[in-house]
Amino acid sequence: MEAITANSEQLLTAVRQTLLIAGVSALGAMVIGVLVTVARISPVPILRAAAFLFVQYFLNVPLLALLLLAVFALPDAGLVLPLAPTVVIVLALYEGAYVAEAVRSGVNTIARGEIEAARALGLRFNQIMRRIVVPQALRAVVQPLGNIAIALLMNTALAATVGVAELTDTANQLNNSAAQPILIYGFVGLCYMALALAIGLSAGRIERRVAVRR
Amino acid sequence: MAPTRRWRAAAAAPVAALSLILAACGGGSDSADESGSKATGIFADAPVAESLPEGSTMAEIKERGELVVAAALDAPLLSQQNPTDPDEVEGFDITLAKLLATYIIGEPKVKIVPPASQTREAMLQNETVDVVFNTYTITEERAQQIQFAGPYFLSGLAIAVPKGNPEGIDSIDDLAGKQVIVGANTPAVDYVKEEVPDAELVTFDTDPQAIQALAQGRGVAYVQDYLLLATDAATNDDIELATGALTAEPYGIGLPPNDPDFKTFVNEWLTKIQEEGQWAQAFEDSIGEVTGQDAPDAPEIGSVPGS
Repeated sequence: MEAITANSEQLLTAVRQTLLIAGVSALGAMVIGVLVTVARISPVPILRAAAFLFVQYFLNVPLLALLLLAVFALPDAGLVLPLAPTVVIVLALYEGAYVAEAVRSGVNTIARGEIEAARALGLRFNQIMRRIVVPQALRAVVQPLGNIAIALLMNTALAATVGVAELTDTANQLNNSAAQPILIYGFVGLCYMALALAIGLSAGRIERRVAVRR
Repeated sequence: MAPTRRWRAAAAAPVAALSLILAACGGGSDSADESGSKATGIFADAPVAESLPEGSTMAEIKERGELVVAAALDAPLLSQQNPTDPDEVEGFDITLAKLLATYIIGEPKVKIVPPASQTREAMLQNETVDVVFNTYTITEERAQQIQFAGPYFLSGLAIAVPKGNPEGIDSIDDLAGKQVIVGANTPAVDYVKEEVPDAELVTFDTDPQAIQALAQGRGVAYVQDYLLLATDAATNDDIELATGALTAEPYGIGLPPNDPDFKTFVNEWLTKIQEEGQWAQAFEDSIGEVTGQDAPDAPEIGSVPGS
């Protein structure tokens, strides 16, 4: 246990870094996901096609491949971003595709008649989206979004492969000198589990609070 | 203006094909190396143990017919999978592993399990592998978890910089306050932290990634094993060595804990191949080919704390 207690400060910083990466990319993913969903159900064919391609690309290319491309290939194209922001951007785009799929299923729960009624009242497309479709769609998919947030949290561990000092990377560094992999990775696993549990439980609470009663 | 509710079915076939291709790229890393079964060259007159004590670890390995070794597949000169013949793994570490297999079994039969360097202790503790040949630096902390035979080689950390040395780095102190690239799970992590505590560490999993990152300016310098850097600098025009070896890293052979007989046995074997010349031969066939050096004097067995 000494390997953990002696380095508790470093581990705490690492947990904060992991939460920061996860939090910022979750926000980004939400914004991207909602915008992509709106584009997918918009009346403009080019927007629909672009949104479809975006979702298919990010759903079907592994995150590790995306990260390595962003970290090592973009600099060759003359674009050098610091590592942590690169990871946040890639995570936001990647999880944004999953958010878009979840929100799209939420859109499917809205009765066609509501949209027809809105149009009959003279609301324009963006008004329908802002006031009717997106709020109801999001309320319907709180739990799936919570699951995506948990997946995103786990995926931040891949940042360790490209040198961002988050929880997994710190575990690697501690293990290097302490040489107790089972203890250290076991502990770090518990940290991830606790964070995931917190996300899952709060998603449940939020869902009960915002559910649309029909 | 009606929002359309027609969802197109995903174009599943091309997408599935793409993921198959991507999956194939990452496959095959846990391949077994069975090719060295003919006793030729260095293995032809390598020593073979005369008798193995009944019920010992060595006898079990002989019974099984192959030595299970944790060794890298991507370490040039030490243990590298041959790009033109993936069944063949070459280098100093792996030649020694085959020599040990010859000593126990009579044939250079090894099965390679590539370790993550994070899990080497665990692999020995739960008997996934018999031995670790993986530029495994002997430290006292590690020696509390497992046993080390050897040391069988002394190397050291050095500093590589981008070509032309734009930051004018020629000692470890010049790295203070700068971003420094290190290999994940290498002794460089602790070394840089100790020598220049205010340097910011950027760690990468593999050596090729770290070299790429150095060339792209993600750090001012890359601290890594001297041998590895010398090979890298010889094959890559973007980087150069700024220093020679700064530390002495004793490489040991990782062995399972609580098996002192096996450790004694491996140390006896190591002494034997040093006396009979196979150790020097293995060095000259691999590292010596690039550095142009004759084999140095082998390190004294048990000469460092933890061995």
